[in-house]
Amino acid sequence: MLVAGIDIGSITTEALIFEKGKGILGYTIMQTGADSKKTAELALEKALSFPSREASDLSYIIATGCGRKRAVFAQQAITEITCIAKGVNFLFPNARTIIDIGGQDTKVIRIDEKGRVTEFEMNDKCAAGTGRFIEVMAKALNVDLDKIGDLSLKHKKELTISSICTVFAESEVISLVSEGEELEDILYGIHKAIADRTLGLINRLGGIKNDVVMAGGVAKNIGVVKALEKVLGTKLHIYVEPQIIGALGAAIMAAEKE
Amino acid sequence: MNEEKSYSKRVEEEFKNYGKRVKELKASGKRVIGYLSPIVPVEIITASGAIPIRLKGDVYEAVTTANGYMETIVCPFVRNVFDSALKGKYGFLDGLVMPHLCDSMDRTADIWNYNLGLNYFHFLNVPHVTDEPSLDFFKEILSIFISSLERFLEREIREEDLRMAIEVHNRNRGAMRKLYELRKSEPPLINGVEMMKVLVATMGLPVGESISMVEGLIEEVSERKLISDGHKPRIMIIGDQIDYTSLSETIEDGGGIHVMDDISIGSKAYWADVEVDKDPLYAIAERYLRKLKLPTFVESSDTYSETVEKRFGYLKDFIEEFRVDGVILVTFRYCDPYGFEVPLIKGYIEDLGIPVLYMEDEYSASTIPRAKTRIEAFLEMLME
Repeated sequence: MLVAGIDIGSITTEALIFEKGKGILGYTIMQTGADSKKTAELALEKALSFPSREASDLSYIIATGCGRKRAVFAQQAITEITCIAKGVNFLFPNARTIIDIGGQDTKVIRIDEKGRVTEFEMNDKCAAGTGRFIEVMAKALNVDLDKIGDLSLKHKKELTISSICTVFAESEVISLVSEGEELEDILYGIHKAIADRTLGLINRLGGIKNDVVMAGGVAKNIGVVKALEKVLGTKLHIYVEPQIIGALGAAIMAAEKE
Repeated sequence: MNEEKSYSKRVEEEFKNYGKRVKELKASGKRVIGYLSPIVPVEIITASGAIPIRLKGDVYEAVTTANGYMETIVCPFVRNVFDSALKGKYGFLDGLVMPHLCDSMDRTADIWNYNLGLNYFHFLNVPHVTDEPSLDFFKEILSIFISSLERFLEREIREEDLRMAIEVHNRNRGAMRKLYELRKSEPPLINGVEMMKVLVATMGLPVGESISMVEGLIEEVSERKLISDGHKPRIMIIGDQIDYTSLSETIEDGGGIHVMDDISIGSKAYWADVEVDKDPLYAIAERYLRKLKLPTFVESSDTYSETVEKRFGYLKDFIEEFRVDGVILVTFRYCDPYGFEVPLIKGYIEDLGIPVLYMEDEYSASTIPRAKTRIEAFLEMLME
């Protein structure tokens, strides 16, 4: 039975085709843009093109992410918190804590051995320390988003960015540049600030429980990953494509509908 | 058939046009006294012949004018209500009673008094400890309140006026508790959204009209047929002045059902009566000081667990009686009294095996989209 999961996030949309017993057959990651409804349709179409199947072959579709209600073709909408938990459980059965940093949300989720959510925390309405925060900083520093992780690992100083607010942090970064601080050191400071903010959220849940999995687009940034591993004192397990875990969880739940 | 729908229709109207009825009565010569918080003894205002109306803000209205008078450290609820008052929403008030409750009210009392320019303003100095000397003190404070109302209204408030007011407010509370009873079934006969509308509607009506509306509604609601579409997570909301429906709507649109509350316009205001066989002033002082479960009161016992049990024990009863599956705890940003209690409430309820979702909110509809994901994820967690 062929099913699909669609994760419509604030920055990117992922569609994933799944079959029980066979696993992931295809997926796609796209920029969400202004018309999330259209993007969702397009993403599904693209994802289907890998296993060269048709939308009519799909027996169930579940949508997730902050735009989940926009995927009108989906049979069901489930929050990304539940979906990420399912996706992580499928990939890492020993995972008990999930740190998901996406475009505008940071979530910390506790799960049990069956991938059921037992507790979760989410950042407040401010997007500080999320993917959008990193994008703004990369733009202010005129560096490629893909390069900042590696660059920050070459830092020589432990610079501190004290502002939590994206707007204030941006001006703090700009003043660090004008003071002649090195790019690598500033990037390190940015990643450390994200790790500290995430730690605050984790502490509200009473700390971590191993194994810890990191998901969401920010997990692709090695600088944040290393900074988090340092403050948490544990290794983070990361799937090769951490952005598709929400869509994967949605697809797995769709497959359970059989 | 038309008759049958009349009370729920009235609720809807009073909810949508908050204060409309009081405005009409004012036009016909009645005096109107506004108040904030459930700590103000409405019995005394009713006994004076004036109509008490509890002030609320508007979560769909952005605070603008009030920003020129109050810093953001003042709680968003107080700022929102003050903003409404400055914008003329409460132009029908003759006076206002502000209680000594939290810093956001205490420290802004003079701002309200000075800027609204009402003919009557009274600061009710409520103590925060509930022992015997405090009770004596509060009784004295209530006497001062009575004299000040008498001077303003040029009318004596006699003991029998107080007794009558106590009786009628007890009846109002009793009717409301009966309506709450109808939420115990599965599914409840009245859902959370409708109940929230009732709670808001009644606080803007003279007590007599509130009684007939609620009693009429009970009859109407009792005749409804239970149509079950499976078990839905039963939610209790804990918080202060939640006087809007969006939270209940989010819960009920997300597949849950809002069955109980511990909020200051809800069960907090209706659960305890004033005893009728005592000196009326003493009985009023006792009810407001000792039976209202507000976080500003200090009630210490010998041990920590005794104190916690004394403070929150009633929540355990609510959870059992209303078969609550999960609790949503809401505080407003910068609300110290509720903020201090968050870890305690959360711990107490989680120890009972009931999951708690804690959200710090803004008394603004702007936070609803973000609250949605959390509430829906919480419901999904309860459904698994």
